[in-house]
Amino acid sequence: MMRKRILVGSVAAAMLIAAGAFIVPPGSDANAQAGKRLPQLDTGDASAQPWKRYAGWPVRDASKFNTLANLASPPPPTAARKLTGPITGDSTKGAVLVADRNRGGSCLACHTMGPAGGTALPGNVGPDLSEIGNAGREDKWLFNYVFDARVYNPETVMPPWGGHGIFNEAEINDIVAFLKTLKSPAPYKTELDNPDKRPAPVEKRDNLDPIENPGMWAVDKAQELWKQKSAIGFSCNTCHSDPKESFKTWAASMPKWEPRLNKVLGVEEFVTRHTKATTGDTWLMETDENRVMSVYLHYLANGTPIKIDTTSAESKAAIERGKALSARKVGELNFACTDCHGKSANKWIRGQWLGEPKGQADHFPTWRTSLQAIWDIRQRFQWCQVNIRADELAPDAKEYGDLELYLVSQNEGQKLSVPGIRH
Amino acid sequence: MAEKPRLKLPKEAKKGEIIEIKTLMPHVMESGQRKDKDGKTIPRRIINKFTAEFNGKPVFSATIEPAVAANPYLQFTAKVEESGTFKFSWTDDDGSIITAEEKITVA
Amino acid sequence: MRNMTRRAALAVGAGAVTLTVVGWNQGAHAAAKEAADDVAKFTGGKAATQGKITIELPEIAENGNTVPLTVSVDAPMTAENYVSDVLVVSEGNPNPGVVTFHFTPLSGKAEAQTRIRLAATQNIVVVAKTSKGEFYAAQKQVKVTIGGCGG
Repeated sequence: MMRKRILVGSVAAAMLIAAGAFIVPPGSDANAQAGKRLPQLDTGDASAQPWKRYAGWPVRDASKFNTLANLASPPPPTAARKLTGPITGDSTKGAVLVADRNRGGSCLACHTMGPAGGTALPGNVGPDLSEIGNAGREDKWLFNYVFDARVYNPETVMPPWGGHGIFNEAEINDIVAFLKTLKSPAPYKTELDNPDKRPAPVEKRDNLDPIENPGMWAVDKAQELWKQKSAIGFSCNTCHSDPKESFKTWAASMPKWEPRLNKVLGVEEFVTRHTKATTGDTWLMETDENRVMSVYLHYLANGTPIKIDTTSAESKAAIERGKALSARKVGELNFACTDCHGKSANKWIRGQWLGEPKGQADHFPTWRTSLQAIWDIRQRFQWCQVNIRADELAPDAKEYGDLELYLVSQNEGQKLSVPGIRH
Repeated sequence: MAEKPRLKLPKEAKKGEIIEIKTLMPHVMESGQRKDKDGKTIPRRIINKFTAEFNGKPVFSATIEPAVAANPYLQFTAKVEESGTFKFSWTDDDGSIITAEEKITVA
Repeated sequence: MRNMTRRAALAVGAGAVTLTVVGWNQGAHAAAKEAADDVAKFTGGKAATQGKITIELPEIAENGNTVPLTVSVDAPMTAENYVSDVLVVSEGNPNPGVVTFHFTPLSGKAEAQTRIRLAATQNIVVVAKTSKGEFYAAQKQVKVTIGGCGG
C-alpha cells in the first residue's frame, strides 16, 4: 500500500497555527477539554515514514507472506505429497535440525523430543513426541505433517515448515528419520525442564517502585517535559495545569475511534497528533518523548478499571476488524495472534510462557528488563510480528489501531498499572 | 548525561538497629562484550566501584564487574549506633565519581 | 567447591585463555576454569569449607540480563569476627568476575543483593572470607530460559 499522506513536519504545524486552525486557549483544563473535538493534527503520519525496522531486530525477506495489512502467503496444500520411496534421511542431522533455533525457534519450542537439544526447557504447545517412533506412523504421514500439517489438520497451529520453505525436503527427510528413532520418554535432567511440571512465572515485583522499575523514571521525565516550552512558547502545562486531576481516568478510556482520521487512536498516536496541533512539538510515536509521555498519562490513570467505547457502531466495527486481524495467519511461521495467545495460551514455547489476552493491556507501556527499555503496545505488536517472521507495520498503522482496540476490549475492568515490568 | 542515583533507607532508627539500604545508579554498564552494527566492539564502560560510609567510617563496598546488570543495584544493611550521615559513591570507568548523601536520626 | 591449589588453577586458567566464547559449551568450560582461577586468587590457594553461605537466585530466570542475586553469610559480624569479603564468580559468562562485596562490622549483617547478567544456564560460585582468614564457599545453579521464537 502506498502512503499518500504528507509527512508530519514543523512546517505543516506552523501553517495550521498561522491559518488559525488552532488557537491555544490559555488557562484551565476545563477550557482545554470544553470542546469535544480536541485539537489534533489530522494530516500526515504519526510515526517515522517510511518505517525503518529497529537496528538489532532481525532482517529477513518476508515479502512473500501475509502481514496485518497485506495478504501474500501461498495457499495451503490441497493434497499430501507422495513419497518416491521410504524415508532415508540422516537421523543425526535431524536431531540437530529439530533443535536449530535459527529455524523459527526450533521444533523444541513446542514439542519435547526425547533427548533432542539436551532436553533443555522444551515447550508443550504441541504433543510430546518422545515416543513417536512407537506410534506406527507411516513415513508419508510423518513427512507431510512436518512439511505442511494443514493437509491433515486445517486448524493446526504448526508452521508449514516445507510449504513456507523454512526446511527443504532433504532436511525434512532427516527430521523424519530422527522422529522414527524416538522410542522412550524424555530424559529430563531437572523437573523444571519438563514443561508439564514447570511452574508458571509469577510477577511479584513492585512495578511502581522506581528502585525496582526504571520505567518509573519516565514519570519524572514526563513532568519536566510537561512544562517544557516549545519553539512557539507553549507547553502541555499551558492548557493542562493540573494533569493529576484532569488525567486521572483518561488513559483507561483509550484507545478510541477517531472519526476525523477514520482510525483508532491509542494514547501514543493521540499524544503525537495533539502535541503537534497545540505546542507544535514533534513527538512521533516510539520516540523517547512519546514513550515517557505515554507512561505518564497511563500512570496518572493507574488504578482505574479499563473502560473503552465498545458500543458505538464505529467501535463495534473496529473491534470486529481487530478480532479478524487477530485470527489472521501472518509471516513465514504462519501464526495468528490467537494461535499463541488463544489456542496455546498458558502453555510454554520453549522456556517462555504464552500469556492470554486478558492481563496484557493493563501494564503498557512497560519496562522490559531484558532490553532495559520502555515498550509501548504498538512496539510489542511490531516485535511479535518480526519474531514470527512477518513484516511489521508502522506504529500508526490503522490495523494496529483495530487490533489494540480489540485487545483492550478483552481487558475491560482490568485496572491500569503502568509502567509495568516484564522480562 | 549523569542521572541521579536512587536511594531507599529509613529516616529514623533505634540505636543498634540493623537497617536495610537500597541503592540504584542509572548507568548503561556497557560490558565491553557487545558489538556495534559494524562489528566493532563497543568499549567497556561500567560503574566499577561502590562505597557506603557512615559518619566517615566504611560500612559496605563492592567491586563491580561487567556482569552486574545495567542500572547497578545494591542492597545491604548497616548497624546504626548514632545519628549521622550516610555517604554513597559510585566510580565510573571514565574516572568520574558520583556521590549522594542521606541523613538518619537514631534515637 | 573444588579445592584447587593456586598453581593448578593458574595452569588451567592459562590453558583456557586460548578458547574463545563462540559455542556455548566451549565457553562454559573456559569460564568454569577461569572462575576457579579467580577463586584461587581470592583464597590465596587456601581450601574453602562448604557452608555458612546462602545464595538466593531464581531457579529459572526469564532473561539473563538482570537476575536478582542475594548472598548472605552466617557470621557474628563483631569487630573480632566478621565476614570481610564475599567473591561472586560465574562459571558460564564470557568473564568469570561478577562482584565482590566488602563488609565491615558496621554492616551488621553479611548480606547483600544485586542484579546480575548471566549468558546462559550455569553455576554461580560464592566464596566468603572472614576477618580470621577462614574461607567458606557455596554454589548454585541458575537456569536462564530459552526463548520460543528463536533468532
